[in-house]
Parts: sequence; structure tokens; C-alpha cells
Amino acid sequence: MNPELLEQWGSLGANGLPYPIPVHPQLVHLTLGLFIVAIAFDIVAALFPLDKNLFKFLAVPVTRSSLFDVGWYNLLASAIITFFTVAAGLFEVSLAVPLADVSSAWGLHALETMIMHGVGGVIILTLIVAMTVWRGFQRYSWRKDMARQVQWSYLATGLFVFALMFAQGTLGAHLGAEFGVHVTADQLLHLGENPNQL
Amino acid sequence: MVLFAVLCDVIGYFTKNSKLYEVSWWNLAFATISIFIAVIFGQIEAGLAEPYAASVSTLNAHTVLGWSLSVILAVVTGWRYVIRLQERPQLPIPYLAASVLLVGLVFVQSYLGSLLVWVYGLHSIPVVDAIRGGLS
Repeated sequence: MNPELLEQWGSLGANGLPYPIPVHPQLVHLTLGLFIVAIAFDIVAALFPLDKNLFKFLAVPVTRSSLFDVGWYNLLASAIITFFTVAAGLFEVSLAVPLADVSSAWGLHALETMIMHGVGGVIILTLIVAMTVWRGFQRYSWRKDMARQVQWSYLATGLFVFALMFAQGTLGAHLGAEFGVHVTADQLLHLGENPNQL
Repeated sequence: MVLFAVLCDVIGYFTKNSKLYEVSWWNLAFATISIFIAVIFGQIEAGLAEPYAASVSTLNAHTVLGWSLSVILAVVTGWRYVIRLQERPQLPIPYLAASVLLVGLVFVQSYLGSLLVWVYGLHSIPVVDAIRGGLS
């Protein structure tokens, strides 16, 4: 953002934020963990005729419906928390002062990376919410009385979103680890100071 | 996953929704496998980090707590496995207390890891360049 506008904040830390650790990279772990567990358990539950003997072998009692419960409740929690992930991301990107003279491992500059990561975040939030609605219809209406609660196309969409999340996560990692966005030590080095003063 | 497992336990405890206990157990079981992968990668990357003086004590604390958490989490999951086999209608209070303590440790560990990345910038390009340039 414009350095003069940033001064309106008054007391920002060396990392460009009014607090030491950015919030968005914390919340995104909840988004990812909950979503990945949701899809993974729906896959295990959908393939239950194949994998139920493995649970028996491990002496872990299991019911197919409880595996689908994990798929549903984890997805629901992921959809809720991701609104906060995106909100925190938008706030923190608005205070970002990336290093301008470098390009990332993907050959992108900071501004392109920020825009792609921002648009990507909104797209993924939309997909997670849409999948939650889709999953809800399957669970409570369309497939209510079926042994397999989810459609194969739903699981395929979930795997596709994994791929989007991988790309999105890499762009976000570039913002922190290569462009130094909100990394205190990187910003100190950029100012010519020693991070050992931390 | 641990956070969501404990959240499900607490909601399940007050709403008496036993479905949520199952959701909690499976999240915990998944977390127990995941943490070993996390610790192994953490150990490799910590070994490659060449931390500068100010960051050393935080890295040490994060390493010790990471290994400890893998053991603590495995023990809690084992405890949960036994409770689940007993098919009790409610979770025992000592178990709930231990899992709340576990959540506390997970928060401390995330805080330490965040300090390493976002404050000390370990493995970020400018810090790596500075360390190669003689920062110690």
C-alpha cells in the first residue's frame, strides 16, 4: 500500500502489522486441515466395501455412517472458518509492503502474486461454500437413504480443490518467504538492520 | 484437527450428540498420524536452518515441544480408543481436562512455529541470503 497511507495507522511494527504475527497464515491451516480431512474421510467411506477389512485387521470398530459424519461436519467447519481466513487475508494484504526487486520461484513479481493469491482465495472460499451446500443436499435429501452418501463427482471436485489449494498455498508461501510480506526479519534486513536485535 | 476434535467433544458433551464424539475420535486419529509426518519434516528443516543467535532458543523450544506433542497426542488418542471401546454415554471429566490441556500445548507450539517463520524469517530468502553473507 501507499507508504503515506500506511503512516495513518500510526504504530505499525517492523512487519507492517499492528501485531507481531499475521493471523491469516494461522487460520489457513484450519481451512486446509478441516477440508482435507473432510474429503479424505468421504473417500474412505465411499470405498468402505474395499477398506472395511483393514479396520477389522487394525481392531478399530467403525461404521460407515460415522465416517460420512466426519466428511460432513469437517466440511461445515471449514466453510465457516474460511470466511475468517479470507477476511484476515484481505486485511493483511492491504497492509503488505512486499520486496519489489525480486521474482519468485514461479517467475512472478510481488503484485502478480498478491493479485492471484487474493482472487484465488475468493474462488476457493466460493467453492468450499458451494461444496458444503452440495454436500448438505446429498446428506439430507438426495442420498438420505443410500449407503453411499456422496456422489463420485463430489469427491472428484474435492480432489480438484486440493490441487487449487496447493497452487494457492504455494503463492501464499512465496509472499511470505520470498517477498518478505509481514516477515519481521526480512523487513529489518531490507532496512539494513540486524535481525539479531529481535 | 486436535482443535476441532476437542471442539466436537465439548459441543458433544453439552448437546449429548454422540455423532460428534465419533467425529472427534476420527479427527484425533488422523492428527496422530499427521503429527509424525510434521515432526519429521520439521526436524529435517530445523537441521538445515542454521539459525542465527536470536532465534536459537525459540527453535529449540519448538523442537522439544514438537517431539513431546507427538508422544502426548499418541497417548491421548490411545486413551480415547479405550474410552470409545467402552461405549460410554459421556466422556470422563479427566479426559476432557487432558484434551483442553492438549489444546493449550498446540497453541503454544503454533505460536513458537509462527515466531520462527514470521518474526525470525527462518528459510525466507532474505534471511537465508543474510546467513550465507555471514549473519550468525
